Amino acid sequence: MKASYALFNGLWRENPTFRLVLGMCPTLAVTNAAANGLSMGLATAFVLVGSNMMVAALKKVIPDEVRIPAYVIIIATFVTIADLALAAFFPEMYKVLGLFIPLIVVNCIILARAEAFAAKNTVFMSALDGLGMGLGFTWALTFLGIIREIIGMGSVFGINLFGEGFVSWIIFILPPGAFLTLGLILAFFNAMLSKKKKVQCS
Amino acid sequence: MKNLTVKLIIVLALISVGSGFFLALTYVYTIPHIEANAARDQEIAILETIPGAVSFEEIRGTDFPMYKGLDDGGKTVGFSYMVEGGGFQGMIGLMVGVDPEQEIITGVKLLSHAETPGLGARIGEEAFLGQFLQKPVSDNFEVRDDVDGVTGATVSSKAVATTLKRTLPQALEQYRVSGGAK
Amino acid sequence: MGYGNLIVSSSPHIRSEETVQRIMLDVIIALLPATAASIYFFGMRALAITITSIVAAVAAEAVIQKIRNKPVTINDGSAVITGLLLALTLSPAMPLWMVAVGAVVAIGIGKQVYGGLGCNPFNPALVGRAFLIVSFPVHMTTWLSPVDGVTSATPLGMIKMEGIKTGYMELFIGNVGGSLGETSALLLILGGLYLIYRGIIDWRIPVFYLGTVAAMTMVLGHDPLFHLLAGGLMLGAFFMATDMVTTPITPVGRIVFGIGAGVLVVIIRLYGGYPEGVLFSILLMNIFTPIIDKFIRPRLYGEVKAK
Repeated sequence: MKASYALFNGLWRENPTFRLVLGMCPTLAVTNAAANGLSMGLATAFVLVGSNMMVAALKKVIPDEVRIPAYVIIIATFVTIADLALAAFFPEMYKVLGLFIPLIVVNCIILARAEAFAAKNTVFMSALDGLGMGLGFTWALTFLGIIREIIGMGSVFGINLFGEGFVSWIIFILPPGAFLTLGLILAFFNAMLSKKKKVQCS
Repeated sequence: MKNLTVKLIIVLALISVGSGFFLALTYVYTIPHIEANAARDQEIAILETIPGAVSFEEIRGTDFPMYKGLDDGGKTVGFSYMVEGGGFQGMIGLMVGVDPEQEIITGVKLLSHAETPGLGARIGEEAFLGQFLQKPVSDNFEVRDDVDGVTGATVSSKAVATTLKRTLPQALEQYRVSGGAK
Repeated sequence: MGYGNLIVSSSPHIRSEETVQRIMLDVIIALLPATAASIYFFGMRALAITITSIVAAVAAEAVIQKIRNKPVTINDGSAVITGLLLALTLSPAMPLWMVAVGAVVAIGIGKQVYGGLGCNPFNPALVGRAFLIVSFPVHMTTWLSPVDGVTSATPLGMIKMEGIKTGYMELFIGNVGGSLGETSALLLILGGLYLIYRGIIDWRIPVFYLGTVAAMTMVLGHDPLFHLLAGGLMLGAFFMATDMVTTPITPVGRIVFGIGAGVLVVIIRLYGGYPEGVLFSILLMNIFTPIIDKFIRPRLYGEVKAK
């Protein structure tokens, strides 16, 4: 396997959010603004790279029978480190995301990559895979956050776009807006994919 | 079989110990920053609601967390207290500053809330909270008559007003009883 | 196939002369008096909102069906009714572009996403209104008084926020602040009775819906007549809670549906954050429709009750 494949796989082909549809809890919960989506994505990417590398490094040591508890301990360690670091150095962001950072532990992407990739590959490749998947998750969350923030508040990353006259569609920064936006994007992705298939068939 | 069990236990224990070591390290390194952040937030909220205060002291023995603000000469210039009231979707946390001499409100700051973003959340804006400044503690705080509510967020606006109305006289009395006025 | 006298039985079945088109036409006829009254009370704004809503709904239906390569079925009149019903639930002060957004959402997300007419679990017009009230709460709750055209609160809003009660006669005739179609109880009842007479809707849902609201408000010490006449209850009871796609098919199931919706309205009106609960009561009961249909089934011919 080529290093570039491991890196770019998560960005598009197997994008965790739009292709694998994993990690829906943070995807729906924190994407009401672009900055929130970006921070959540980066925190997850940090945990992904760390846990992937650690799992790959310890894969010879960890017996098959206890690999899941071992992975969970490793993941939880990195999540707690991310949690403390955010609280210490980015208190404003932590106030917004605080509740959801500990929940990175149960994000299926992380355990899935540990199990499906890191347990079978080298530390270097696992780091690239974690980075690719993490950044894939990050851009997906940021993209969702940008769309929801533009429609819901008329701004991007807090910068006002339309001035005073803009009427915000409040539903888009509320939970239903997360489902609507994600559903429409997924529909778009699926429609693009099925079109490609048709072209190949004819 | 027995060997395997022992191996499993040892491996998991080692991983846990390693995890604990790194966490302890992170904790020791980050905790001063986290505590400093919390203290700074509290200080900003207290000093913002008491004009003229440069430092504060906690008052003990009250129902609300209560602080008295001191000017640079160490003289008490007012007090502020923390209070929570039920809003539209969750509790609304407020820091309220009071001038006990004139019995007027000197500042209201929104600490925490779960109101609708872009709607009820606008109770945190100066345009709404600023209306309470200089109002007497005994005011009726009727939304529409005494203060203008946030458009489309009557429930959130009323929650702030009724929380103030409910707790202000009580807070003032406790401040006096607890020796804050000495 | 009439809805009111629809008897769910085992085969053989007799084919009916009635079509979707005919049913929809009857519903439109029944809504005409209330629509005309809203135009009389609120003037050209009401007409503009009604037309915008209908045009947007029909256009959305046609465009989405075209995109999905499905046959375009705007001739069946169901999109017209969705647009008309949505318009009747809106404030006359609503900006027209918001009306269009609501109609497109009603058809797109309320109906076509699920596969079109007959597959939607929720009443499309109510989905559109729910989207609008969550998105634009300020505009959705700015009401005009029909008397002088200035902003005013609805009777339900007034009693909830300020404790002022509006007179029965004003509520009955419709000379009060509110959405286009919810103001005149009289004309809505007339339209509803026409539909019951034509066999389009089943009397059970409105009767048990309204009955539950009256009984419950009375037991809880409120004025039942006021709660029956105010707000969108009449409109909801006769025209939305009776939508044949999203309500149970058996008579007993419809009674359960009516009672459930009635209980929800009273709970929301008396204890909830919103002054009006008709919208959410019907949407919530729409969710329960499949379960009601699952547990309350018609007995098969010759079936003996299991002991």
